[in-house]
Amino acid sequence: MMDHARYRMLISADPHSSDPQLRAHRDGCAECGLYTQQLLRFESRLERALKVDMPTPAAVLPFTRPAAARPPKSWRWLAIAASVLLCIVVAAGIWIVLPGASLAADVVAHMAGEPQAWKLTDVAVADTELNDVLRDSQLRLTGAAGIVSYAASCAFRGHRVPHLVVQTPSGPVTVMVLVHESVSRPTQFDEQGYRGTIVPVPGHGSIAVLMQDPGGTHVRDLQGIIAQLRDAIVWTR
Amino acid sequence: MNDAIGGNQRRARFQALCQSLRPDLLRFAFWLCRDRALAEDVVQESMLRAWKAQDSLLDEGAAKPWLLTIIRREYARTFERKRVPTVDVDELIAKEEPMLAAAEEQDLRELRAALFNLPIEYREPLVLQVLMGFSTAEIARELDLSGPAVLTRLFRARNRLRAAMGEKLGADGEE
Repeated sequence: MMDHARYRMLISADPHSSDPQLRAHRDGCAECGLYTQQLLRFESRLERALKVDMPTPAAVLPFTRPAAARPPKSWRWLAIAASVLLCIVVAAGIWIVLPGASLAADVVAHMAGEPQAWKLTDVAVADTELNDVLRDSQLRLTGAAGIVSYAASCAFRGHRVPHLVVQTPSGPVTVMVLVHESVSRPTQFDEQGYRGTIVPVPGHGSIAVLMQDPGGTHVRDLQGIIAQLRDAIVWTR
Repeated sequence: MNDAIGGNQRRARFQALCQSLRPDLLRFAFWLCRDRALAEDVVQESMLRAWKAQDSLLDEGAAKPWLLTIIRREYARTFERKRVPTVDVDELIAKEEPMLAAAEEQDLRELRAALFNLPIEYREPLVLQVLMGFSTAEIARELDLSGPAVLTRLFRARNRLRAAMGEKLGADGEE
């Protein structure tokens, strides 16, 4: 069995470690259990300390148009217009056939690109940060939502959308408020270890809710979580 | 023409990607530099370098570690370009007081000051882990260290911070 010093060294290096050997030692050692609780309390403060406010100015990115780009001739514009129109028709056809599936795939792809958001924690984001993210989508959250541990305004399908992580008894749950994406009925999906649902919100697009649940042990909790979140959302328009 | 359209789309996509990651990148640079103005310069310069080198980003999902690597190199270049004088951490803390102060919480302010005092070899892996969500293996790869070396640094980083905050560490929890 792992000794106390080794346990404390390893848990101090990674307090959120899910290593079964660490868990086994902690379960069998009251002192190290207490040590871990103290460490996790410190970790919460550390996370808050590191999250200094970093307001992003409106115009920050330095990219400029390439000097080599020349204005096109008119016939080329026609060709482009025709190509774009063709693409739109084809895309719309695909979209009509598989709307839920493609939206779900995009949601999962987006989530997979932000693994740091999935952290299990009891540290909530600052109210100012959360409000900044929600403002553009014209909504706010009541305390009934629970601990919102991550809030970012993300680029998704050509729009900025709120990407939130809410801590629930079933673990971290990600929520994307998709005011620009309408779905006709709830769509459940299970892709790449992510399980979730996209539900319609009449007049406000849809909401995607998903969790990392490859074993499917918490998927039944999703409906309750969705109901809780819908109750917590207050639309301001 | 197709190149121009592709270029515009690519630029818009890359810009959106950078925009969404920018707050985290700025925070990382801030804890690296301990100077907000320098952090903004480093991130801005890094974005330009990233734009020029975007073809080397094969997977958008790996954008964050890719950009962090560019930022770390750009920060290192600031030392090559000019001789950075020895820093007085107390002066740095005073200068960044508005950033470090968490209005109603003296405790957080003290912890942030302790982070400023933490040597870079401990501060950097800690920020990568706690703020950026990197695993031990990812930190090891980014910093070119072994896994055990990363664990040791993270252990020492937390112990130093906890000691600085007056927490009593048990004998087994000491370095």
